[in-house]
Amino acid sequence: MPEKRQKLIPDEFIPEIRSRVITLDNQDYLLQNDTMYTFYERSMGELSPFFLAIKNEKKILGCKCSKCGIVRVPPMMTHCPDCEFAPTGLVEVSQVGKMNTTPPITYFATSLFLDKAPFGRGRVILEGADTALSVMLYTTTGILVPGLIKKGTEVKIIFRDERVGQISDIYCVPTSELTPEQVTKKGLQESELNWAKPKEPQFPKPTDNDTANFKQCLKEMQALAVKMSQSKRARKAIEGWRRNITVRTKAGEFAIYINNGDFRIEEKKLSSPDFIMACEDPKTLLDGLMYKGAITDSVIMKRLWISKNLEFNTIFKLDRLARFLVMEQKEKTAK
Amino acid sequence: MAKKVGIVGAAITPFKGRWYQKTYYELAQMATREAVADAAISIKDVDSVFYGIYNDIFERACIPEHPLQGILGMQNKFGIRISTGGATGAYTLSAAHAYLAGERFKTALVMGVEKATDCFDFKSMSATPEVIKTIAWSGDTFFEQNIGWTASDSYAEVVLGYMDEYPGTLKPEITAQISALLSQQARTNPYAQRQFDQVTPEEVMNSRYIVYPFKELEICVYSEGAAALILAEEETAKAIAKNSGKPIIWITGLGEANEHSFAGKNQKDMSHIVSDYLGSRRAYEMAGIKDPTKAVQLVELHDAFIHQLEISMAEFGLVPYQTVDSLIEDGLILPGGKYLVNPCGGLSYCGHAVGASNIMSAWSARNELIKRKLKTALIHGTGSTISQYTACAILENE
Repeated sequence: MPEKRQKLIPDEFIPEIRSRVITLDNQDYLLQNDTMYTFYERSMGELSPFFLAIKNEKKILGCKCSKCGIVRVPPMMTHCPDCEFAPTGLVEVSQVGKMNTTPPITYFATSLFLDKAPFGRGRVILEGADTALSVMLYTTTGILVPGLIKKGTEVKIIFRDERVGQISDIYCVPTSELTPEQVTKKGLQESELNWAKPKEPQFPKPTDNDTANFKQCLKEMQALAVKMSQSKRARKAIEGWRRNITVRTKAGEFAIYINNGDFRIEEKKLSSPDFIMACEDPKTLLDGLMYKGAITDSVIMKRLWISKNLEFNTIFKLDRLARFLVMEQKEKTAK
Repeated sequence: MAKKVGIVGAAITPFKGRWYQKTYYELAQMATREAVADAAISIKDVDSVFYGIYNDIFERACIPEHPLQGILGMQNKFGIRISTGGATGAYTLSAAHAYLAGERFKTALVMGVEKATDCFDFKSMSATPEVIKTIAWSGDTFFEQNIGWTASDSYAEVVLGYMDEYPGTLKPEITAQISALLSQQARTNPYAQRQFDQVTPEEVMNSRYIVYPFKELEICVYSEGAAALILAEEETAKAIAKNSGKPIIWITGLGEANEHSFAGKNQKDMSHIVSDYLGSRRAYEMAGIKDPTKAVQLVELHDAFIHQLEISMAEFGLVPYQTVDSLIEDGLILPGGKYLVNPCGGLSYCGHAVGASNIMSAWSARNELIKRKLKTALIHGTGSTISQYTACAILENE
């Protein structure tokens, strides 16, 4: 689960004051590191009871129209626009509800949410409400995959242990992953859930065929890596990025080195890799690098295991590396 | 009686993933210079300017249009900026039309520009996460920004809602074929960001998930660029056309609708793009179109996402909801089919320089109406959270 941030802008997001020059068609162009920031002490105004109820009482409030009786969650208005602005009043609603539609799953997030992906975000109609509350969605079983949460799936609001009075203080998980007591409990907190821990897969002993396959795949990947390092376009996919990765397969282990445009693969054991990938058949990775299926999808579909979810970002870069090499080859042919 | 309004000049800059060589000042002027040249008039002959710029943060300035007033040669004249998310360009066209039809001005410059990919995430050392973060400031500030709202996931919500309502539609092999088709159409557009990036349906299906159900090659690209149109009321348009020798493309219909931004009872229906339905119907009514399946020949559709392109075609009444995949299965949008959709490659392959995109679409439609001697085109812009905003325009060849 994501951790709370201590600063509004974490230090790692803040670049140094610096500039660089890029040369295109023999002309120099200046690029300057820059930012545009504003701090706020935000007034939560009429929404204060809703956020305070989440923070202090672990309750979800809606607003009920005094005329038509519609209950809106979140309670975003004090008067009902459907009833000539009749006043609304706050009411508490259930913490269990059903998904209004099948929710999307974000695998490639914004820079602020890279460490939270993959996550679902969808709309739940809580019991007692008529409108849908936008919520983040997780599964306690590992990576959220398509089909796990759909339209009509019953979900439960989970409260983070540390709450600051924001909508991100809550998220939902399917009730099918909870005990009956947890489903009925009001104000269920994330520390009360049984979260699956990432566990590196163990592979059976390799056969001679597996070993031969490993050698062949490794050879092909190494040849591809040379091409990628020589491709101007492919290098851009991993520009400024540095990672040493251990890849474990059924028949052997090797290392991937990403170093600011350079891409190298060696049959070597790393003592302290940035992260570990594990796949039974190295062809899973080879296919991805050959642009025959996304490596991202291999992770999502559990054909490839990674030791840190945050390294989805590196996986995306490997997919781009494969795509950019193919694009460069196509453009050369087309032109 | 409102005045007739027509397009008498149009131009775009090349759309690129990044324009290192130019700021948005120069991009805006490039498109404007070419548009007045296309109309064979002087910028001094233009009475008013309508700016389409979506996001202040992209341009790194509030009121980013103010330097453009002088740079475009429009000092001491009327200037107004429109910003309605992805639909900015189409709404800008609509606003300019209203001022000319209402006889406030005789001529107008409609200029859209965006410089999106200067945004850069120094943590991942790539632009895209920061670009989508910048767009993500467009989500609801109290209830959605803090939980990972993005343009992609909000449109994906509607797409999945549609798939819940009409199971078996928007099949992956169909969206893949549409993406491949658009990539082929971009091949003849020298201004397209992905002119030489022709993809196969297999490549589309094999591309990685960005936001389920969208794969990388089913999503438009972020672009930098500008587009400009010269609009004129009837008498002025005729005089300009006589001088330039180019036919007038009349704007005969306009329609807009903005839905609720929250879902549920009396709010947004997540299984439809009601704004597309209403926007297109209002445009048809104004243009006197009774049966769009008979009248509309060309569609320049805001294909932010390929799945959404299909839904929008259904909302426009050009294909039934339940059989929307007939766009490909019955060849409706294939070469030689009933509808010519996004001959420029659309936002997916020509590019999506947000404020400029729908203006680029109008530029493309004008070119195609003239070149192919077609009569009627539908222009479309969609934007904001959960496809909330729509603006449509009907263009007709005289």
